[in-house]
Formats: sequence, C-alpha cells, structure tokens
Amino acid sequence: MSELRDDVKYAKSHEWIKIEGDVATFGLTDYAQDQMGDLVFAEVVPVGTVVEVDGTIGSVESVKMASDVYSPLSGEVIEANDSLEDAPEQINEAPYDTWFVKIRLSDPSEVESLLDKDAYAALIEEE
Amino acid sequence: MIYLKKTPLYQHHVDLGARMVEYAGWNMPVQYAGIGDETAAVRNESGIFDVSHMGEVMVKGEDAAAFLDWLLSRPVSSMQPDQVTYAILANEAGGTVDDLLVYETGKNMYLLVVNAANKDKDVGHINDSLGRFKAKKGEVDVTVEDVSDQYGQIAWQGPKVRETAPTVLKALGFKEDDIEKILQLKRFRSLQIADPDGGIEWIVSRTGYTGEDGFEIYLPIAKTADVWQGLIDQGIAPAGLGARDVLRLEAGMPLYGHELGEDISALDAGLNRFVAKEGEFQGSKMRDTVSRKLIHIAAEGKAIPREGYRLIVDGEAVGTVSSGTFSPTLGKGIANVFVDPDFDPEGKELFLEIRNKQLPFTLVDSPFVKLG
Repeated sequence: MSELRDDVKYAKSHEWIKIEGDVATFGLTDYAQDQMGDLVFAEVVPVGTVVEVDGTIGSVESVKMASDVYSPLSGEVIEANDSLEDAPEQINEAPYDTWFVKIRLSDPSEVESLLDKDAYAALIEEE
Repeated sequence: MIYLKKTPLYQHHVDLGARMVEYAGWNMPVQYAGIGDETAAVRNESGIFDVSHMGEVMVKGEDAAAFLDWLLSRPVSSMQPDQVTYAILANEAGGTVDDLLVYETGKNMYLLVVNAANKDKDVGHINDSLGRFKAKKGEVDVTVEDVSDQYGQIAWQGPKVRETAPTVLKALGFKEDDIEKILQLKRFRSLQIADPDGGIEWIVSRTGYTGEDGFEIYLPIAKTADVWQGLIDQGIAPAGLGARDVLRLEAGMPLYGHELGEDISALDAGLNRFVAKEGEFQGSKMRDTVSRKLIHIAAEGKAIPREGYRLIVDGEAVGTVSSGTFSPTLGKGIANVFVDPDFDPEGKELFLEIRNKQLPFTLVDSPFVKLG
C-alpha cells in the first residue's frame, strides 16, 4: 500500500503539496514513485519560472518511463531543489521528504481545487 | 473489461510481487525487484524470463522446407537439423511482417517462434503466402498450424548459467544424459527431450534475447510452472519485460515495431547477415530500396533518449529514435536512431531534442554493451 500523509494536499497528477501561507512546496507521492520504479533522472525548473495552473515544474525518468511533474497551482518558483539531478533515488527512498520546488502562489484560492488524503486515496484506488 | 490472456506462470508472478501489465493481449510481468536490479542480475549472474506469450507456428509436410526457403529471408534447407535460425518473415514489398526463430523439430517439421503481438497476423500471412506458393508450384504438401497453446517458454540468461546448469537442471529433474547434452550445445543449437508423461517434446536451445549466454526452454504448458518454481527455488532472479527490453537494446538486438515494421525492411534495420545475398524469396524486393539506416548513440550527460525523439545535426532534424532507454549497465542513455541511408554521422555534433532542449550525444558502436 502506498503511504499517504495527512499534512499535505494532493493533485490528480500525483504530486503532494504542502501549503504554508502563500508558499506551496511540491513533491511526488509515494504512489507515483512506486508506479515509476527506480528513478534514474530528475530535473526541476529554475528559480524565477512563472508557472501556470497545470504547468510543468520538473521531469522524472525511470529506466523505461518518463513523466513530467505538474503544479495544479499558479505562481513563481522561489526555490528549486537542484540536488535531485545528482540523486534522483532520494525520491524513491523518501517521497514525502523530497521536494522539487517551492512556489509563491499568485492566487491562494486555487488551493481549494486540491484533493485531501481521502479523495486522493479514492483516486489511486480506481487506477 | 478487456480479456487478457494469462501464461501458466501468472499466479507465480503475482505471488512474486511483480507489476503486471498488458502486453500483446497478455497479462505479463514488467518488473519484480526493479528493472535496474533485474538487468544487473542477468548481466552479472543469471535471470529467468517467462516468455510463454511467444507464438509457435508449426509448418510441416514434404514441401515445407521449399516453402520456407521462399517464405523467409534465408534458406532453412541449408540448416543443420539441430540449428536454430533467425530469419525475417517479409511481405511482397520487402517490408517486415515479423522476425522469428526456426527450429527443425523433425523430418519435414519446422517450428516458427514468432512475436506474440504478430502471431495472428503471421499465421494469416503464412497461409496467404502458401496460396501464392501453390500458384507458382502447383499443389504442394505443406500444412500450417498455430500450436502456441501447447507451449510454455522460459528463458534462462546470464554469464553464470552454464556453470550453475548441472546443479540447477538436476534439481529440476532433468536426466544426467540430457544435462550432458544440454551443456554440449553450441550457440544457436537445440535439442529435444521426450516428455516423461507423453506431452509435447521439450526443446532446449542455446539462444536468447539478452546478449548473454543461456538457454531457452520450450515445454508443455502443464510443466511450465514446476520448472519456473524450481528455478526460483534455486535462487535465480526473475526478470520482467522491462529488463528484457533493456537487455536486448543494450545487446544491439532489434524489436519488431521499433527497428522492424511493415514499412521497415531487414536491410533498413541493418540485419544484412540474416538476408540471403542472392536468390529470389517472397520479400527479396527489399534488396532494391534501402530507405533508411540505423545508427547508435549514447548520451554525453544525463539525458535519457526515448522513442520518437528527433536527432538534430547543424540545427536540422536528420533522424528519429526507434528505441531508447537508460542503460543500467552503462549508467547512461542509449538509443537506436533511423537516419537517411546517405547521412554520414562521423565527426558530426549530434543532439537529441528532449523537452525543447538540444542535448549532446556521441556516436557509438552496436552492441552498446560489450558482451563476453
């Protein structure tokens, strides 16, 4: 079973999002990293990138699969975790402790569109 | 709900914790421990694959050899009886219907081992071709039968297969003299073993799709699970379709739908050594036009090439990736790329377009991984 946490919100595209004031921190869910398999590549968009709703904030690849990482919230990237590029395996090892980017939100009301733990659990149950 | 076929090992895969996926209408294991670990097991020790989904088509009769000589890209009539022949099943335009192995299982009996995804198409094409052959030769004695439902198949691959085979095969219940004969097999040779319970004859061949030494075992469906479990009990790592694709690509082997297709001939894919130099066969038109050629590249940085990515030289798109992956063995991205037949990649700066960036690649030789 995939691990889910109470202290984060979720996106349908399998990111977790931690909201602190008007800053959102993004990572991949345990379910997503498990579906991808052992990651061998990761990159994040640079600080200063302006992200639209459902815009790309990074990419991950395992041996056989490639996937973009999305933000369901709009804003500007204020921090990017460049350490992922040299050690993508930390995403597999500790998905909820490994963040991709932090975004200063342009419209904090967009947070209401995110899934809570139960709604995300139902989503991955269906998949 | 789509009905997916299950091999006799389906429950074993589930119990081993495999991730199951749809492949060619079958419910197949794509990975167990992880593609990287499975690839390493096969490159360093050994691993087993369930390839029971592969199709088997029996072609037999007095004129079977003459028919196959005309049907396939190289003559089977010059084969030794125990020889396993890789050949191309081509269409009349020279394109590829499938690639396959031919086993001579008896007098005037040939077993074609074909890709699961192509099996029904192949049987149709072979029967249509038989009609054309009869139109040329008059009545002939050839019958074509899909016998896929009778065979399970397990591939056991890796550098440690031969040294561990005596112990492992003994534990599986193989007889001493059969083990002796199996160990004496040269590459691309096969032998048959009578089933103790009167089922179809087992076939063991020193063949594979990983570039490593090893065996492929064709056996009755009813015996497949026991042999698989016996191999698992000997501590041999199971490997899934994900690792199988990585291993074949590292080893420079083509995959139908990528390096071969209805409009991609064996000569386009550089498989010249499996196509007779002269003499007419059904697909011999492939010699008239070579529309592309395959080159091989490896990433200079961390980029991972994928099918469909464009090769850029001097700002122009000059090719398309047919197969690409991260190579766990080499620790970098590798790819096959189709380019124009007169494009010369030597000395050029090569880039793949990946997510709107151009990332540098180096021309390399195939196989990507140097094998023992």
